[in-house]
Amino acid sequence: MKLNAFTWIIVTVAVTAWVFILPLQAVATILVLQLVLLLYIKRSKTMMAAIGGLGVFTGMMILLQLLFGSPLNVALFGGLRMLVMTLAFLCMLATTRIQSIAKALVDRFHLPVEYAFMLTAALRFVPNFLEDSTVTLDAQSCRGYSNRGNALKRLLSYVVVIRPLVMRAVAKSETLALSMELRGFGANTYKNMPKEKFTAIDVAVLALVVVLSTYPFWKRLLGT
Amino acid sequence: MNPVVSVTEFYFKYLRSGLVLKNINLEIEKGSFTVIIGPSGAGKTTLCKAITGIVPYYTGGDYAGDVKVLGETTKGKKVSDLAMKVGLMLEDYESQLVSLTAGEEVAFSLLNHGFPPDEAEERTRRALEDVGLPGRENYQLDELSGGQRQRLALASLLAVHPEVIVLDEPVSAMDPDGGESLYKLLGKIREEYGTTFIVVEHRVEFVLPYMTNLIAVKNGEIAGQGTCEEVVSRIYEDTELRPLLPDLWQIKRGLEISTGQRFRLWRSTEEAAEELRMKGFGKGVRA
Repeated sequence: MKLNAFTWIIVTVAVTAWVFILPLQAVATILVLQLVLLLYIKRSKTMMAAIGGLGVFTGMMILLQLLFGSPLNVALFGGLRMLVMTLAFLCMLATTRIQSIAKALVDRFHLPVEYAFMLTAALRFVPNFLEDSTVTLDAQSCRGYSNRGNALKRLLSYVVVIRPLVMRAVAKSETLALSMELRGFGANTYKNMPKEKFTAIDVAVLALVVVLSTYPFWKRLLGT
Repeated sequence: MNPVVSVTEFYFKYLRSGLVLKNINLEIEKGSFTVIIGPSGAGKTTLCKAITGIVPYYTGGDYAGDVKVLGETTKGKKVSDLAMKVGLMLEDYESQLVSLTAGEEVAFSLLNHGFPPDEAEERTRRALEDVGLPGRENYQLDELSGGQRQRLALASLLAVHPEVIVLDEPVSAMDPDGGESLYKLLGKIREEYGTTFIVVEHRVEFVLPYMTNLIAVKNGEIAGQGTCEEVVSRIYEDTELRPLLPDLWQIKRGLEISTGQRFRLWRSTEEAAEELRMKGFGKGVRA
């Protein structure tokens, strides 16, 4: 079963709304469904690390809320909401190609192509940026950079790594812009990409989204 | 002569810089393999950018003169439209790759220029085959080695079938085997499609078997241009440009001057050894 990128975007946006309108049990059910889906798609170390990281972050959010005097149930529900919202994005990214998401954003939501392209460009250049940071760190270490000392000292000394790294990134972005110009980047970029099919499953999922998103209305109508 | 590129009295300066190119007059013949040599900062890359319309229409700057590609002036043309006729591979090929997979990378230009998806797919498959990356459409870029990524950048140029391909130091990051194999590939493409190649290269040894023409640039000016046979002697006389010639040609000119004999323009050490043996230069001469 493969959903269209457009459907995934709608579902993701809807989930972020549902966490505020649906009751606690429903939100908890969504969380379970998300975890099952993510583990079904990819039971890798990276996926476990991503889920674990989000779990830790949620825990910190809950702690912060408790520290600021929120009641336990409010803090827990707040953390749950945040976790479900972020997992919704993780589900979308794990199941859909970023290029399809960008295309859907341009075609269906009329996002300017430049912004949509930023999604793919960001993903494309993350590994390069990490590689550059290692090279720059090594080069500066050879010239005497050291990350010893207290936090402030380490932060200040890190400037010698950040500065060349940023310069390299800027130079690369200029080349990228030139390359895109040479290759005719513009309105046609996403228009001519192969179209993804919109199946009956997409229609069914979108119908379910409509039903769940109008939950307060149904609740009032049915008098429960 | 049937020039595909002609540059006439071209002068150029970037914003807030001195003249980078001065009185450039050159013609590139259809189907030729031209190598541009020159010291660092001589203006080789700027010349390549002028041929592809990037200079001055993308970078800005002041210019005089005219550049014609396939008989049409580059004035007022969009860089992307010119790229259909003259493709450019920049020295920093890594940053030139914009997509996540090899197939998308090659198809990027095609889709941007309005090719239908089916044709784009077919051209992508063909271009990847041509550069020795068959069936790699779904490979992520980080699954490819540096040399393969360089070939991929070339494939994305080849897919749109430009008549002229300009390459700025295409083997700068390659080992000798990789460099030789890339130029072998370019030679094959030239034979197969009749593509005109213009290459900026410091390690001319790699291009020896394929190059037909040579342009030497010094201080923003053309110091020599023509077929290799025509210009080698003139370039050799310039002590600053001499070390940029391949070792074999430096030896050839040195021998010609010291012995008064004429030699062929050697394309390989084997060829040199054979001619030297034939002319009686000692029994011990070997390639």
